[in-house]
Amino acid sequence: MFDFDVIVMGAGLAGMRAALAASQNGSKVAVITKVYPVRSHSNAAQGGINAALTDRGDNWEDHAFDTIKGSDYLADQDAVEVMAKEAGSEVINMEHMGAAFNRDDQGRLGVRAFGGQREARTFFVADFTGQALLHVLHEQVLNSGVKVFEEWFVTSLIMQEGRCNGVVAMDMRTGELHVMRAKAVIIASGGVGRVFEPSTNALICTGDGIALGYRAGAGIMDMEMVQYHPTTLKNNGALMSEAARGEGAHLLNSEGERFMERYAPNMMELASRDVVSRSEQTEINEGRGIDGCVLLDARHLGEKLINERLSQIRQLGIDFAGKDMVTDPVPIRPGMHYIMGGIKTDIDGQTSIPGLYGAGETACVSVHGGNRLGANSLLDTLVFGRRSGEHASEWVKNQTSASVDDSYSKTDREAIQNLLNRDKGEMFGQIRLNLGQTMNKHLAVYRDQNGMEQAKSDLIELKNRYSNVIVHDKNLIFNTNLIFTLELGFMLDCAETIILGALERKESRGAHTRTDMPDRDDKNWLKHIVVSQINGEPKVDYVPVNITKWQPQERKY
Amino acid sequence: MKYAFYPGCVSRGAAPELYTATIEVCKRLGIELDTQTMEGASCTGSGVLQEKNERLGDTLNARTFAMGENSGLPIMTICSTCQGVMSQAKARMTDVEYRESVNSDLSEENLEYKGQAEPRHLLWIIIEDIGIEKFKEKIVKPLTGLKIAPFYGCYIVRPSDALGFDENPERKHSLEMIIEAVGAEVADFPGKSACCGFPILTINEKNSMKMVSNHTLSAKKEGAVAMVTPCPLCHLNLDGYQPTASKQVGQPIDLPILHLPQLIGLALGIDPKSLKLNQHIVNTEKVVSALALTP
Amino acid sequence: MDVDLNIARFNPDAEGKSPYRQEFNIEVNETDTVLDGLIKIREEVDGTLALRCSCRSAICGSCAMRVNGQAVLACNTKITDLVSNKNKSINVEPIGNMKIIKDLIVEFDTHWEKIKAIDPWIKTDSSPPEAEYIASNESMVELAGVMGCIQCGACVSDCTVLAVDETFLGPAALAKAYRFIADPRDEANSQRLKDLNEPSGIWDCTRCMQCVEVCPKGVDPMGRIMKLRDFAMEAGFKNTNGARHAEVFSEIIRNNGVLNEFWLPVKTFGMFNIPEMLKLAPIGLKMVMRGKMPPIFYEKIPGYKNITKLFEKTKVL
Repeated sequence: MFDFDVIVMGAGLAGMRAALAASQNGSKVAVITKVYPVRSHSNAAQGGINAALTDRGDNWEDHAFDTIKGSDYLADQDAVEVMAKEAGSEVINMEHMGAAFNRDDQGRLGVRAFGGQREARTFFVADFTGQALLHVLHEQVLNSGVKVFEEWFVTSLIMQEGRCNGVVAMDMRTGELHVMRAKAVIIASGGVGRVFEPSTNALICTGDGIALGYRAGAGIMDMEMVQYHPTTLKNNGALMSEAARGEGAHLLNSEGERFMERYAPNMMELASRDVVSRSEQTEINEGRGIDGCVLLDARHLGEKLINERLSQIRQLGIDFAGKDMVTDPVPIRPGMHYIMGGIKTDIDGQTSIPGLYGAGETACVSVHGGNRLGANSLLDTLVFGRRSGEHASEWVKNQTSASVDDSYSKTDREAIQNLLNRDKGEMFGQIRLNLGQTMNKHLAVYRDQNGMEQAKSDLIELKNRYSNVIVHDKNLIFNTNLIFTLELGFMLDCAETIILGALERKESRGAHTRTDMPDRDDKNWLKHIVVSQINGEPKVDYVPVNITKWQPQERKY
Repeated sequence: MKYAFYPGCVSRGAAPELYTATIEVCKRLGIELDTQTMEGASCTGSGVLQEKNERLGDTLNARTFAMGENSGLPIMTICSTCQGVMSQAKARMTDVEYRESVNSDLSEENLEYKGQAEPRHLLWIIIEDIGIEKFKEKIVKPLTGLKIAPFYGCYIVRPSDALGFDENPERKHSLEMIIEAVGAEVADFPGKSACCGFPILTINEKNSMKMVSNHTLSAKKEGAVAMVTPCPLCHLNLDGYQPTASKQVGQPIDLPILHLPQLIGLALGIDPKSLKLNQHIVNTEKVVSALALTP
Repeated sequence: MDVDLNIARFNPDAEGKSPYRQEFNIEVNETDTVLDGLIKIREEVDGTLALRCSCRSAICGSCAMRVNGQAVLACNTKITDLVSNKNKSINVEPIGNMKIIKDLIVEFDTHWEKIKAIDPWIKTDSSPPEAEYIASNESMVELAGVMGCIQCGACVSDCTVLAVDETFLGPAALAKAYRFIADPRDEANSQRLKDLNEPSGIWDCTRCMQCVEVCPKGVDPMGRIMKLRDFAMEAGFKNTNGARHAEVFSEIIRNNGVLNEFWLPVKTFGMFNIPEMLKLAPIGLKMVMRGKMPPIFYEKIPGYKNITKLFEKTKVL
């Protein structure tokens, strides 16, 4: 049987950072990942990582305030302070590990401007910062004692008397289920992108960890806060990094107007993402779009700069939109990109379940509140990944191993066998597509009561269809058909938490914009919405927002 | 049609039969060769010199290009490796700043590469300047019934963006076009664009020989009676070292390897001896006599 | 439009276990990629089709496969680029040089072993500075170029040396090695170059450019291997046939302008390397008999001195 001090679920930035921290602190660590670590979706983050470096005269408090304002005041300020204070050392640490950050003329780390921030404090590696950091972290993991179980799929958490004592995971190569005991489990399995169609997210972003936490009874917070990124390609939802706007690109409507002037006269294209997405959607809805899109114009930046700093997105535009941004504006529109919500954790990654931690996009500390600033996600993964790893590693020193045996895999084994035994039913593909379409229709940039209620009833129907889903592939070895079907189950659970949170919040804040309740209501709604599953039934709670220094104000860009 | 003939090093050294065959064939095809202009031109570097110093390689090739430009004649190559190395150098020197810095080294000889020279292999010249239809008209002894396997040589097929494949897509299957144009049938086999192993001959003979035996045997499996290649370095390995490869794999191979002009020369009715087909390591009798039997 | 995807399949669970081919005819859009087609098949037609894929935008490296014989990323290979009025069939196979697990999924284990074999982490003896290491933007841009590698395996798939010798480190591992040697913060260059100089290392590349051709991220693995050879020679690792070959080649061109294939192999092995000279002898003899022997006395081209001068100017040898 597999036995570890700490098991990390997910090998993206947060997962690997947590694993490294725990390992360096003396723990026996395993990382379980359903794809090779370098395939993790962290690699899609393009623009950069924020940090206020004091030796440059920047101030962590400014970064903190920008983040809190960006969050529409839903972020917990104690958590934001921690993140802003520790950002500098995280970035320097990554540089020491070998990250190839862009440099200025003096050979020091270079910066670019990014959305929602008054000071340029985004450090970057061309336009593939996420990939660059992910590979560097992977290099370090290869040199550590961390054991990585590659292409293993977690099917459930092992819960005993309200405590998490490990996981049940399938070795995808053989199809066999294994019980893996641990004194602490850190869930860092990323976001829920595939719940929406289209989405910038990879196909692996199916909310596995959030659903597992939900099923185990952990509190899931702020799930209604779904970020629609302003610049995604129409064809396949691919992301065109904010870095383009950071380098000076403009957004134009069908009349050639830089319309952000009317919505955010100060920050223009670099206002926070929810503001820009709403502005674009309004332009499109009011007939000033082209084919459901507006235009990203980077021509004036020049070929040299584009090749040096935006080469990857230039290629994306050519490959997937048929437009070379050196010579043409690229049609883009808002697309689902990130979830600010997730498993509720404290600033050390602890969830409401002892022995269970969360970090990265999976978690909601909350540092992003109602809207995340660009380049804060990479920072979030590293800071809270590290903190979870360190805390879990210390905590387990005082824990004894639980008594866990192979019988813990019985439930999952039977469930899978039942699935495979079914010889009539609907394939997962259409159910997944319909789920994505309904979420993208009713839980997108603009929402209203009717739409969200429709989504709720659609979900019930989708869950019914799912109970009759068929898996064509009856074989054990690398049964991707089975994996996708299990993932769909996770996605349906995540969708439930999103719809519940959205219906519950009776105001507009951050990314949650209701056309029937368009104003922010601090008096009644300056609080988090936490959904948990008790005996299979969803329950809704509220948690106050932690305020330290910054009282909520009107949010203008 | 007149060209500044750049024969490369090997056709004047270990593969003189290529040089002779080229002269013979060009005479018949109406390709006039100026052999003076390139007399003082250096080796292209063959990729090996570029290993030590890429810029030096570019400088030597810029020098050759400048000499070509001065003569006012287009440059003709007869070796895949020469072609590829030159094309890659040319691609790097489309950057005006780089080209100018290279030219500053050439100024002592009063040479300046202006970015216009476009060296092309005889293989491409036949298809692009003569045209495949006109070429077919010159065939007097079609190689009907003969199955010939094409072996390109890495440097004339990769990297595709340096070799002008976008503007001239026919280059991609130029060798097969010639084989069909001379009346023969193409013996298509998987390794036709793979590596012959010549570059690692002195470094890892085992791997080099394995490549030779893999490609020759798989060509034979497709029914090839001979293989044709536009690269004398490939020829050195596939022909010169075929006995060694055969010994290593423990199987007889006996596949004659023809230089491109030799294949064309046979179809133009030139006698095998003039094409120096008796100067190969692997006996070419089989092909020659098979030809004698075809009407 | 409709297209035929002809897929090489393998079911490891099946009795008898033989690979087989299956053709699927599906409707696709103008802008669809091969991956879109494959996903359509597995979601609507045959759920048993197994393949790896994730990001759909050429960043994660999961979907490398051989399409019409060449390694590509399925997600940025447009169907319209591959079909025409005359031919609407596309051949899809798993990538080469790796053991097939199921359908289009292959074992990447050996690949990761080779990556690990080159010690893929920054090595320093001294402690890092308080703040960031000072480094030029050029050096970081150079690093970013080679770190664009997404470990997709396309270069490994089509490497002609790996096709005959699985012990070769391969283009991906060697490009990764270059990443560390080119990193100004790594202090282990000497040891790294020493290890790479061993058999199955940098000198075993046959310079066929397949890796350059198929790399979807422009990493140029062969170019990096060539640079590593240059670094190795400069660092004094000259005692390999490969290094000697490059040195001798250089020397011959420098002094004569053109190559001499008699002296090249002789000097590469070393005139007094009796076993190799004995091996060369019969081949040399055959060549003499066929009139193919290059002259023993060097033939210098007219104006060869200009070549020598250029070598001196560029400070080579």
